Formats: sequence, C-alpha cells, structure tokens
Amino acid sequence: MTVALAGNPNVGKSTLFNTLTGLQADTANYPGKTVELNLGITKYKGKTIGLVDLPGTYSLDPTSEDQWVARRAIIEERPDVVVVVMDASNLQRNLYQTLQLIELEFPIVIALNLVDHAERVGLRTDYQKLSKMLGTPVIRMVASRGEGIDELLQYLTNESPIRPAKGSTFYGPRIDQTVGEMEEAIKRSFDNNASGLSAHALAIRLLEDDSEFSELAASQSSQLSESVQVLRKSIESEYHEPASLAIARERHALAKQITEMVQSKATTRPLLSQRLLHYSVSPYTGVPLAFMVMVGIFVFMVNVGGFLGEVTSFLWATYASPSIRFVIVTAVGNGLVSHVLLWGFDAGILGAVSVGIPYVLTFYLILSLLEDSGYLGCLAYLTDTVMHKLGLHGRAIIPIIMGFGCNVPAIMGTRVLETKRERILASILIVLTPCSARTAVIIAAVGVFAGWQYAAAIFGIDLAVMGVVGLFLGRILPGKTSGLVMEMFTFRRPRISTILKRTWFRFSAFMQMALPMITLGSLMLGALYETGWLQILLAPVNPIMLTLLGLPAVASICLVLGILRKELTLQLLIALAVMKYGPSASNLLLFMTPIQLFVFGLVVTLYFPCIATMTVLGREVGWKSATTIMLSTIALAISMGALAFRVLPAICILH
Amino acid sequence: MPRHIASKRERSEPAEMYLETIYRLSENEKVVRTSALAKSLGVSLGAVTNTLANLESQGLVHRRAYRGVELTSKGKTVALRVLRKHRLAEQLLTKVLGMKWSEVHEIACRLEHAMTSDLTDAMEKLLRNPKTCPHGNPIPDETGRINRQNSQPLSNFKPSDRAVLVKITEEKSDMLRYLASLGLMPGAVVEVQEKAPFEGPMIVKVMGATYALGHNIASVVEARRV
Repeated sequence: MTVALAGNPNVGKSTLFNTLTGLQADTANYPGKTVELNLGITKYKGKTIGLVDLPGTYSLDPTSEDQWVARRAIIEERPDVVVVVMDASNLQRNLYQTLQLIELEFPIVIALNLVDHAERVGLRTDYQKLSKMLGTPVIRMVASRGEGIDELLQYLTNESPIRPAKGSTFYGPRIDQTVGEMEEAIKRSFDNNASGLSAHALAIRLLEDDSEFSELAASQSSQLSESVQVLRKSIESEYHEPASLAIARERHALAKQITEMVQSKATTRPLLSQRLLHYSVSPYTGVPLAFMVMVGIFVFMVNVGGFLGEVTSFLWATYASPSIRFVIVTAVGNGLVSHVLLWGFDAGILGAVSVGIPYVLTFYLILSLLEDSGYLGCLAYLTDTVMHKLGLHGRAIIPIIMGFGCNVPAIMGTRVLETKRERILASILIVLTPCSARTAVIIAAVGVFAGWQYAAAIFGIDLAVMGVVGLFLGRILPGKTSGLVMEMFTFRRPRISTILKRTWFRFSAFMQMALPMITLGSLMLGALYETGWLQILLAPVNPIMLTLLGLPAVASICLVLGILRKELTLQLLIALAVMKYGPSASNLLLFMTPIQLFVFGLVVTLYFPCIATMTVLGREVGWKSATTIMLSTIALAISMGALAFRVLPAICILH
Repeated sequence: MPRHIASKRERSEPAEMYLETIYRLSENEKVVRTSALAKSLGVSLGAVTNTLANLESQGLVHRRAYRGVELTSKGKTVALRVLRKHRLAEQLLTKVLGMKWSEVHEIACRLEHAMTSDLTDAMEKLLRNPKTCPHGNPIPDETGRINRQNSQPLSNFKPSDRAVLVKITEEKSDMLRYLASLGLMPGAVVEVQEKAPFEGPMIVKVMGATYALGHNIASVVEARRV
C-alpha cells in the first residue's frame, strides 16, 4: 500500500518519515518542478508500505511550487491513506490544511504530533472529540520518542481499509448552498470529470478561484465557467469580498471553533521561551548574540573539526591505507595501474573521509541543532534586512549557511526560494561561500603555516567578495524579489536523538553522493598524472602561475586536481612537495613563502567550484548560467590572487 | 422661494446619486466605466450617457473617451457632501433606531437627498462624531475632507500594537491567497511583537501563530489600529 505524509512545515513529518523508513530514501520530481518528494519503504508485520513524504505546506492552494506538488502528488498517486501530521501546540493553524484535505475526500489518518511540547504548556486535547468532529481517526504521537508510531502502523495495516473522509464541512449556509449548486452544475456539465476529484471537492476548488482547476473547467465547458462566475458572484454579494477570501475566512473560523472545542487553553505561559525569542531578535541583544553564536560555531568547527581530522588521518594511515595498499599491490603488482588505483582508493577515499568526517559531519550537527531549537528562524529574521539588499530575503540565509558546510546540499536548498532570480543569486553566493573543504585548506595550510591572522584575512576577503557581488547582482539582475513570510517557532529544547538521527541521515546521503564521484575523479586524475599527461597539459599554464600568482609549478597541478575536491589541493600539495623535495617538505614553509601560501589559499577559496558543486549547479540554474558562473569564478580567483601577490609584500609584515 | 428649492431638488437628486455612485466606484478603479455605473444604478446605458453629458456640461465630471468617467474637484465636493449625509443617516438608523445594517443602505439612499446641512451637522453631534458608517467606511467631515481608509501600512506599527487588517494592496492574487491561507486577511487581528530597524522585517502574531514578515510584505498590508 502507499501512504502519503502531509502537514505543515516543522511538525515532525520528516522525523516520522525517517523513523519509519530508516536510512533508505529515494527522491522523485515532477517534470519542470524543482521541489522533490522523498520516497521510502517500511515493513510492518510482513506488509510493505510505500511512503511518500510530501513537502511541508500550509495549504493546498497552488500558489507556490511545493503546495502545487503536494496536491498533485496526492491526486495523481492516489495513496491508499494520507497521514496528516499536525502540531498539537498549533492546532488551529494546522487544521486549515487538514480541512482542505478532508474536503478533497481522501482517506485520512491524523497523527497529532509534538504532544509532549503541547502538554508541557498545559494544552490537553480531547482526541475522541477531535476525531468525531473531523470524521477521521486521530492518533496521539510523539514521533521523536517513537510514541504512537506502532499505533499508526497498526491502523494502516489493519484489514479494513480506511474510509475516505466525509467531504462536508460547515462553512455557513450561503457557501454550503452555493457549493451544492456548483456540484449540480459540475455533474450536469460532464459525468466523468478529468480533475481527479469528486464533484463536491471540485465545486469548492472552483468557487475558491483555484487557478489549476479553473483552467481545467474552462477548457472542458464554457458553460461551466459561466456558472462558476455566477455562483462566485453570489458569495461575493453576501460577503462583500472575493469568494476565495470568504471561503478561506470560513475555513479559518471553523478551524478556530474546532480547536476551542477540543483543546483546553494553555495554562503555563511559556514565558522563558518568549523572552528568549525577544532577546534573540531585538536588534540590540539579538545581533551581538548572533555574532557570538557564529563565532562559537567557527571555533567549534575549527577545534572539533581539526581534532577529528587528525584522528581520521591517523586511523587511516595506520589501518586503512596499508590494507588497501596490500590488496591492490597483491592484485595488480606495483606498476602504473596500481598507482592509479591507489590514487582512487587510497588518496581519493581518504580525501572524502578527511573532509567529510571532521567538517561535514560536525557542520550538519550544528545545523540540526540550529533547526531544532528554532534559532535558525531568528537568524533569518536578523539577516533579512541585509539579504534584502542582496536581492534576497531572510530565508535565503539558510542555504547560505549550509554552504559553509558543503556547497552541494546548499545549492539544492535554494529551492525554498520562490523565484528563479533569487535561486540564481543565492547559488552564486553559495559558490563563493567557503565550504568545509576550503575551510580545511585555509586553516591547515595558511592558518598553521602562515599564521591564523592570515587565515582570518582570507575569510574576511571572501565574505567581502560575497557582499560586493551580491550587492552588484542584486541591482542588475532583472526580476522582482518576493518577501520574507516565515513562521517563527518558539524555542524548543532540542532532542538529542532527533538531532543525531537527522545529522547521520544527511551525512550518509552526502557521503553516498560524494564518495563515488571523488573516487572516480581521483582515478581519472591519477591516470592523467601517472601517465605524465597532466604535466604535459599543464606545461603552458605554469609560467602564467608563476608570473601572475607567484606560485611554484606543483601548485598548478594541485589547483587542477582541486576541481575534484578542494581539500585535495592541500593534500596533493603536501604529497607532491614531499615527492619533489623530500619528506621534510611536509612543512610547507620549506618551499613556499607565507605570501605564496596566502595566495594559494585565496585562489583555492575563490576559483571553480568542485565537480560535485558544478553538477548540482548545472542542474539547478541551467548549464548556460552555470558555465558563466564557473568561468567568472576563475577570473575572480586569478585577479584577486594576482592582486594579493603584488600588494601583500608591500603592505605586510610577513617575512 | 419654494420654487427655488424645488428646482434645486429636482436637479440635484439624480445628479447627487450619480456623483455619489461614481465616487464610491472610484475607490476600486480610478476611471469608472460607464457600464459599471449603469449596473450599479440599475439604469440603462443610454440613460447614463445622457446624464453624464449633462453633468459634464455642469463641470461636475470629466468624461474620458472609451474609458469612462471621473469626478472633477467640484463633482468630488458634491459627492463627498452626499456621502457624508448617507453614512451619517446609516449610523442614525442603526445606532438610534436599532435597524439592521444590512437594511439601512436603501433607506439612507433616499434620506440623504432630504437632509439639509444643518440637519446633518445636528445628527453628527447627536451621534457623537462617528468616524465611520456601520459598514466601516469613513465619513467625510463638514468641510468635505475624508480620511480615505483610516489605515496605514502594517510596517508603520510598533511592537505591542494591535491592529486589524483592512486591505492587502498587493496586485498578485497568489500572494494574497498565500497570506490568506496563513490567516493574514482583511478582518484578522494581528499583534505586533517585534520590529527590526532600517526598514527591516517585523514579527506578528495572528490566529495563534507567529510570523516574520519582510518589510516589502508588511508595507502592502493596510491595517487599522485597534
């Protein structure tokens, strides 16, 4: 059987989905849309259940892409059951969409989630009464603790199929009567309507001026369109406002009424979280707080990341690498082939792991913490003004922050932005954002050998570049910006298990994508290198590197190979240096001056995104735009690097 | 004397009706279409065209070829005067005589032409200077000035203000629908919680949920202080 999960954003839908499907998940797209659906499978008592995780939406009006996709998925896929996940502390607002789903007459089971938070503030729900009023089963759930999940599965796999919700809801005599008349008109116009909805459901949609179904009706029968106009007018004359608003108003009123009848009022006013929210968003306290949080995150990532990096390298060098070498050498001897294979399976995998574990993993941990606590919303609020100058709005801060971990999921995350212009703008900024790999290079190469001030300087320059580019593009790119409309959540005590699970889920998804790509790329580049082709191809480039950027020949090879993964530049630099200058060259200062290291770090940060980012970028904004962006970054990197090379010796104290 | 008054009333009543209706319709579209006018008054297009020509010769309206008609400043003054009488009459009927506000419009339409300015002022005093009619529309004062919406953009409000949303001036119906589905629709009561400086976003509470709204969104939402 197939089950769809629907509900507002941030109600724990993904927690439920992840708990049910474990770590296996696929994604699917509707052609021409960028919103993705997560698909998974779960088994219970021998029965297999296919799960579709719909995007979190506030309503099913087709006014935004995720709402359109959510609705289309339900109508087209015809799941056997729609599980509606609702936030018990926010019942009234959550009920709006639930009422829409009931109108659409799908078989529904309601999972009333986050009951622990609700009960903590004194909100007690009468589940029986709610179930009776809505005409659907209601299950009490705390998905993060696993409560209610068994009950849900029990319900789903029960022998008797769940009946479709009864579509009649009370919106006032005028509207209900008009809906009835609309229904009749629909039945008269065609007996097999192609909308996928019942006549009753379609009637409400048409009266609400639903763009998708109105077009459908118009194409079917002009007489029907006329009836729609007439009936809509009759609602308008009674309510003195457009029919769609009148119906929305009644729906809100019904949601409020139901909530008041099934829930007791909150007794404990959440004063602490209220006050925390106030301090987090008010400009005098919020901005310094945000700054401290950012610094804290940076320090955490540097220290914990650095430590994990060392541990990983050590473990790899001691255990993994020798075993791999042994296997390969035994299998194919010690010649060219074995060297190439080692590039892929020793150096390549090490590359993925040595950035993934220390930096991507810790980053996702921090991101989950920010999300779950609700602080991410505050960050979006605080940054909205700045984002607006860049042609974006506050919510864009989320993918940009993700860009500090890895550009790939960050660019995919730009899908939350409404217009194409915003998505392109955000993607450009993300490509310039120093991801974990670049951070690793900056810290480990420049920071360690040249001094932490210079590492900080590179970050500063990078952020400045982002700002300038953003401001500039924000002015010249055509198109309008939408605005920030974002729900603010009260601070919740984040649950460790949820955070860990979500972090692991994201991290493994990242590794699944990155690892094969890196290994493959490493193999290819290894082949080019070992056969000598790479040096031949790069020969003309070396003089340019030297004159413009002042970098030694080995650096150019590293930069090219850095297209695979940026942190490879560092490792290869060390490896190549050792090969050329001997083992002591792992102290980079022995053959590169601090200025050269600085320039190197700066170029690595700004140039060409890595191959994984390039793929995603091409997919999200189109290959034409992507190529332009990529070429621009090279130009930017070279010019900034050249500038640094000329200017630095003059102004600074690096010897 | 009686003849003077009679002829004034004969000339004014339909004229006043027209001017008032044009003013009311002009709240939706600047240049009022003749067909809309005809529909609202319940008369034929021919009759409307005739009367409009008459009004134009009196300098009360300005006709625009193929587009419709708009009031001159003289016409606007007359319209506002009538509107004032109409809305005060409605208030009298509902507040003092206890009639239902769905019924009072028709009667007020007839009363307004019989009211002298002295009577009107006396009514206003009795009703204690109401600012709006029972439907919420503003009442012009005795000099003819009208505070059109008595509302301001939501972005003007400060933390701990409460306001009721009046209108969303956003053209795109998509945004309108989206905001409506969140509960941000005319009639909704919002409570402003936070406001960022430098034309930044604000945080409002509506229908039990809390939202951050960017400045460009808050500035197209009109609201009235509560």
